[in-house]
Amino acid sequence: MRNLERTAEGQDRGFVRRDDQLNKGTGLSRRDFMGAAAAAFTIVPRSVLGGARHIPPSEKLNIAGIGVGGRGAGDLAAVSSENIVALCDVHQSHAAGTFKRYPKAKKYRDFRRMLDQEDRNIDAVVIATPDHTHAVATMKAIKMGKHVYCEKPLAHSIYEVRKVTEAAREAGVATQLGNQGQASETTRLVCEFIWDGAIGPVREVHSWCNRPISPRGIDRPKDKHDVPPTLDWDLWLGPAPERPYHPCYLPFSWRGWWDFGTGVLGDIGCHQLAPIFRALKLEYPTCVEACSSGVNSETAPLASIIRYEFPVRYDFPALKLTWYDGGLMPARPKELKEGLRFGNADDNLFLGDRGKMLGHRLLPESRSKEYGRPPKILARSPGHHKEWLDACKGGPPAGSNFEVSGPLTEVVLLGNIALRMGQKLYEKGLKLYYDGPKMKIINLPEANKYIRSEYRDGWTL
Amino acid sequence: MKNRKKPNEEQNRKLSRRDFMSAAAAVAAFTIVPRHVLGGPRRIPPSEKLNIAGIGVGGQGSGDLRAMESQNIVALCDVDWRQAAGTFRRYPNAKKYKDFRIMLDKEDKNIDAVVVATPDHIHAVASMAAIKRSKHVYCEKPLTHSVYEARVLAKATREYKVATQMGNQGQASEGTRLMSEYIWAGAIGPVREVHVWTDRPLRGLNDVWWPQGVGRPTGKEDIPSTLDWDLWLGPAPQRPYSSAYVPFKWRGWWDFGTGALGDIGCHRIDPVWRALKLKYPISVEASCTLVNTETFPVASMVTYHFGARDGFPPVKLTWYDGGIRPPRPEELEDGQHLGTNGILFVGDKGKMLEYTLIPESKRKEFGTPPKVIPRSPGHHQEWIDACKGGKPAGSNFDHAGPLAEAVLLGNVALRPELKEKLTRTSLLWDSKNLKITNLPEANEFLRCSYRKGWTL
Repeated sequence: MRNLERTAEGQDRGFVRRDDQLNKGTGLSRRDFMGAAAAAFTIVPRSVLGGARHIPPSEKLNIAGIGVGGRGAGDLAAVSSENIVALCDVHQSHAAGTFKRYPKAKKYRDFRRMLDQEDRNIDAVVIATPDHTHAVATMKAIKMGKHVYCEKPLAHSIYEVRKVTEAAREAGVATQLGNQGQASETTRLVCEFIWDGAIGPVREVHSWCNRPISPRGIDRPKDKHDVPPTLDWDLWLGPAPERPYHPCYLPFSWRGWWDFGTGVLGDIGCHQLAPIFRALKLEYPTCVEACSSGVNSETAPLASIIRYEFPVRYDFPALKLTWYDGGLMPARPKELKEGLRFGNADDNLFLGDRGKMLGHRLLPESRSKEYGRPPKILARSPGHHKEWLDACKGGPPAGSNFEVSGPLTEVVLLGNIALRMGQKLYEKGLKLYYDGPKMKIINLPEANKYIRSEYRDGWTL
Repeated sequence: MKNRKKPNEEQNRKLSRRDFMSAAAAVAAFTIVPRHVLGGPRRIPPSEKLNIAGIGVGGQGSGDLRAMESQNIVALCDVDWRQAAGTFRRYPNAKKYKDFRIMLDKEDKNIDAVVVATPDHIHAVASMAAIKRSKHVYCEKPLTHSVYEARVLAKATREYKVATQMGNQGQASEGTRLMSEYIWAGAIGPVREVHVWTDRPLRGLNDVWWPQGVGRPTGKEDIPSTLDWDLWLGPAPQRPYSSAYVPFKWRGWWDFGTGALGDIGCHRIDPVWRALKLKYPISVEASCTLVNTETFPVASMVTYHFGARDGFPPVKLTWYDGGIRPPRPEELEDGQHLGTNGILFVGDKGKMLEYTLIPESKRKEFGTPPKVIPRSPGHHQEWIDACKGGKPAGSNFDHAGPLAEAVLLGNVALRPELKEKLTRTSLLWDSKNLKITNLPEANEFLRCSYRKGWTL
């Protein structure tokens, strides 16, 4: 039985990974780490389940896709050097292209059925469903000892992220979040410039993205539509609260709806904030505040600014991190020469005591030329998806494994809580104070309802 | 002006570059008949009452007239007689008009002063028509619809020596004075950064005062019988009537209004202007939500840079609207409200929210600054006094003109046509020559072309 084949090496790998990440300062102190792991949530020990099977680099992984249209199709294409053995989508017409591309793969609608039926045939899963289904799909796969590649954000709520991260650690499976930019040269350069002291201690970072590209700031539609025959609406809803089908939710536009998506911050934040987290070794913020062009209980706003404050960490001073979306962005830095682009599409601006950096370019240009490149101290990536494939085969943990991307996603999702509570906080004259390790908003108890979402009957994490 | 073709209805509403004469040259060329030819305003002793006419008398106009009821309200003009009905009833003896040009012609001898509270796109033509007849003018904010109009209007009032006041009544308040007095007393040291914000066009959490970020309505609507749509349009380009514009919602439309910045900027930037002795920005830039050529964006941020002035260091002023605000200052205690339409001064030695030093301990420690600015008899009264030979009102057009120019220049930085270009530069402003120096095509947005039959 291959999936019972567990070696001491496999065991060690799980622990090595954890310690390795601790030493890298991924955001969790050892005490936090153990505290979180000791939480009430119980996971069946992986010795019972058998854990992930040992796969030598020479062998191919058997991969299943959950949510295989849209982004999922791209992810599968990026891992198609392996065997794509099963595909699951609740929307047959949306998945049709992917089904055609992998004619030998078994096709499913319900990932629970797929995992149950294909358990022995699957080593790993790629999850690219809407955000509200990430955690339930990821957790089931982890519990079955499957390696998981999950699209960003890791989950729909902070609680889900925490539980999934803990479960992955327990199960010792290889994980990777779909923020592929983490594997880039840019991300490494950002870190290396900052660690080399190119702009001195960084106290302020601005990060922006001009999305959304789907409607926001709107109410729930009242008109009725028939569910398309190729769509299983009940499965699409998954753990989310029941509501009638409407074409305004899918494909893709679910991103704007709180019950399913996580707004622009959730969509892009895990991409864009990742190099900042890595370079500045961010952990949980002490507080966050948000303002927006108007937010309701149904959809995310058209535009928002979310402001995080992080405490002193290691040798890094306290940091203010400001996120802008919807076309808003910080003012043009005076060091940026006239004629050079400062666009609203997406970028990060680092403000250090001794200089500024836009993306990974030191400002002004003359400073960039004079400085040259910082010492290469970070290993380069073989590619974002490849990192994960390697990790599945016993290689080092992928760059955005859940120990790294879990805390990042939690902070991203905390921003959305500040956004949703923005008006209340504003009226009360408060910022939102947060206890990261305890997953608790300290000064506005009612905000804690957004830490964890209720699941529909029949769905559990 | 020999090379300038008269824009006609078929032409694009913008002037093409060839047709466009620089705004600065146009200001210089703008000729005003010397006032000795016209006779200038009549002298009115304080004991006598002014004869006032209202132009645009529903909405805010009715409020302005109420504030001047101590004087004679002799004539009323509105293009929408249903909107004006309440005001008409309140002043039964006043003559009623639809066209301010006809009113000014017919009532010339009976009027000393006018109160202009039309939509923004009419402010300049109505004010100018009155000024040219040597009438004193009270005009609602923003002073005009374009930067060019503000410059020309201020110039004309100097020539005609009429008494003027813009409708930013907050300028007469104790708060405005205190802001200056704290800053001048050095309470927060030199100020290098100011944040000004409004939640408009938002109205509370999920409503708007008027929509922005929308396109032109496509449905056909009948013009209400009480409305003269052609006169409502005035100098603006022809377009079919829609209830999306009238009343009040014109504020969101580029052709008629000036967005949240135009609506509130002249109110809230004014105290900053005074306290920091701002004259003109040297550059302006903006970011915003999706913006089209019909309406202003749902939310925006506009950043102005001002150079050093009279002992004040350079200052960066950031404007926020549509629910976007500056960060909550750490000096502000939990539970203290940041304010819906606020001003935050950031000095080298402290911060001030409106006229309150923060934190509270700092406020207590500092006490009150010396009272160096005379207090106002009231915003409208200031103007009435000025009309009768008193000193200039606090927001006379010499003050309000440059303020309105800066506000309206911010809107130029929001123009969708410039968006791509403005990723590579800020707008660099040469105030003296009324010219954007680094982006020639931006200059066409300093002026609007008028429909045939309308002139300034």
